[in-house]
Amino acid sequence: MPTDIVSALLTLAGAVLMVSGLLIVRSAWAQRGRQPVRTLCGWCLLVVGIACATFAWGEPGLIAALAAFSVIAFVIVAMGAEYRPVRAANGRELAAEPDERPTNWTRAIAKSLLAIVLAGVAAVGIGIAFAVAAPLDAADRTIIGGLLVPMLWGAGMAWTLCDAKLVRATALLLVVSACAYGIAFLPKMLSS
Amino acid sequence: MHTPAPIKVKKRPFLSAAFVRAMLAGHSALGLAFAALIYVVCLSGALAVFVQEFARWEQPDGPMVEATPAPEVIAAMLRAGYARAQAEGVAHDIYLSGPLRSPGRMQVHYDDHEKGIEGEWLADAQGQLAVPITAPWADFIGALHMQLHLPRTWGMYLVGLTGVALFSSLISGLLSHPRIFKDAFMLRRGGSLRLQEADLHNRLGVWGLPFHVVVSVTGALLGLSSLIVGVLALAAYDGDRGKAVAALFGPPPTNDSTPAPVPDIGAMILQVQASQPQAEFASAFVQHIGTAGQITQLGMHLPGRIAFSQAYRFGADGKMISAANAHEGRVGQWILTALQPLHFGWFAGIAGKLLYGALGLALAVVTHTGVTIWLARRRDKGRPAPGWEKTWAVVGWSQPLGIATTALAAVLAAGVPLIAVYLLTIAAAAGVAIVASDARATVRVLRLLSALVFVAAAGVHVAAWRTVAVDQMAWIVDVALVIAALVIAAPLLVRHRQVGLAEPTQAH
Repeated sequence: MPTDIVSALLTLAGAVLMVSGLLIVRSAWAQRGRQPVRTLCGWCLLVVGIACATFAWGEPGLIAALAAFSVIAFVIVAMGAEYRPVRAANGRELAAEPDERPTNWTRAIAKSLLAIVLAGVAAVGIGIAFAVAAPLDAADRTIIGGLLVPMLWGAGMAWTLCDAKLVRATALLLVVSACAYGIAFLPKMLSS
Repeated sequence: MHTPAPIKVKKRPFLSAAFVRAMLAGHSALGLAFAALIYVVCLSGALAVFVQEFARWEQPDGPMVEATPAPEVIAAMLRAGYARAQAEGVAHDIYLSGPLRSPGRMQVHYDDHEKGIEGEWLADAQGQLAVPITAPWADFIGALHMQLHLPRTWGMYLVGLTGVALFSSLISGLLSHPRIFKDAFMLRRGGSLRLQEADLHNRLGVWGLPFHVVVSVTGALLGLSSLIVGVLALAAYDGDRGKAVAALFGPPPTNDSTPAPVPDIGAMILQVQASQPQAEFASAFVQHIGTAGQITQLGMHLPGRIAFSQAYRFGADGKMISAANAHEGRVGQWILTALQPLHFGWFAGIAGKLLYGALGLALAVVTHTGVTIWLARRRDKGRPAPGWEKTWAVVGWSQPLGIATTALAAVLAAGVPLIAVYLLTIAAAAGVAIVASDARATVRVLRLLSALVFVAAAGVHVAAWRTVAVDQMAWIVDVALVIAALVIAAPLLVRHRQVGLAEPTQAH
């Protein structure tokens, strides 16, 4: 690891590079038409800034720089805030509207069960199948399998909630669950 | 010859309008179902980042130990902790933490999970136990974030599920944002309430995405770990959870209760430092202490690593069973040791904590504005829901008030059940909403009350500790409470000026 003074200088340089990089990206995106060179320059400065912090502090520097990236971006966004007189909504400037879907309690409960329970069952199944059968060290496959669970569950939840067709989502999740639990439990059942 | 003008082909958007609408519908449904839970978990999580500082604020007369002491002092701390635990008849497992793990402090925790008794002490720079730890407010914040004050297992499952819902919302939110780059730096204030809140929601959501993804996934995994290990045990370890846990953490202690000497932890530290000179003591966990079945897990921090510590395990005879460097380069081991620091932001000192605190608050704002957008959309479409507007005002602003009242209660009187104070505060906030004319008035009253109670908590704390506090953290947290009060109250003044210009048509 570098000395304290070098680390401090690298941190400072990293912060300056990150701020400059984000400002360049902002100015590029504010122009009409594409500004690929300027955009790329901005992102490169950001990456170099993050690399400086990582070189100075190792893993903590990397994660702190990524967190700082978000906070710096918030500050730059806030600095460019546009203040308007308070008034009622203008339909022309509103964002995209969600689908207006006819719904009822039965459908809402079915969707909830699908998104929370069945997507969860499928995600846990895939995670456990990975933990049991992946060709890795036992600890590695267990931890990666565990990490897969919330990610797959979240993805499954997002998909089932946006898909208007309940039967399709149910069928796919049931098939995935059956395969995953089959992979996870079959070796044990066959050996006993 | 007339040349026809080139036909401008309209570029197809990356995400089709139908896809975006479907995603938005899913995003709205999920957000509305889990908004309150996500909001409470995120807000309490932003505070939980500072839970160690809050504990110091609550007990600023405790002994301060800034630098990691010599191995013999840590060994003395273990012996003192064991003697104390024996005196209380709970000498089963002992956990020690040094200043790297608990900044400014050396702590001893002992418990007997079979008897359900535990004790926690602060140790001085000589390793002697000085005073029992009392930090009810810090404990309250921690338990609110990790288990919502529900029974431990179910609370953790619910918080884990909340993390999954948050991660899912991030996916659907991102996919329902076709102008993600075009609007990346746009923040419009004023104008229509819906547009203003949507800008804030999207900018904080998109630029904070790396943090949001990391805390939601790690939080979900931490909350659901016991469920995952349980199913894994069924699939691969004949239902034996102990075996599944051992696959991750190494062999557990045995039940051989033959008396044995307390581990010489000083010698263990020196043994690790012989091969890793930069390794520094972070923590130690001795299971089944004082028996022939005991296992010592020594946590040594290595500079440049995000993990709190690398684990070295020693048997009852003091011999090393497993060394952290045996797992060097293993991705699973890295994830396992990085989970907690990544989730709580405890890896880069106070700077890292401040960044995590700011991003945690941003995530709470993203959640809050999500529901506000939905309510504003209803109002724009001529279907206002004033009851739900008030309800959301109570959910949003009873939390800072609840945090402030519990802080004040913890400072005013020892032993007050803070969960009762918290629930009564929420009930009182609901009472304010019933009496108030609309959601906007509810928010104003709750903001004002929150600010006043935060200032009161800081004032009472200064009055109580001004002559005896030795820890500067006491005054830093007091100043932070006053700043929080100012930030909460400031929009009341700004809004008052704005209202003079033009009254928005939508209730907040």
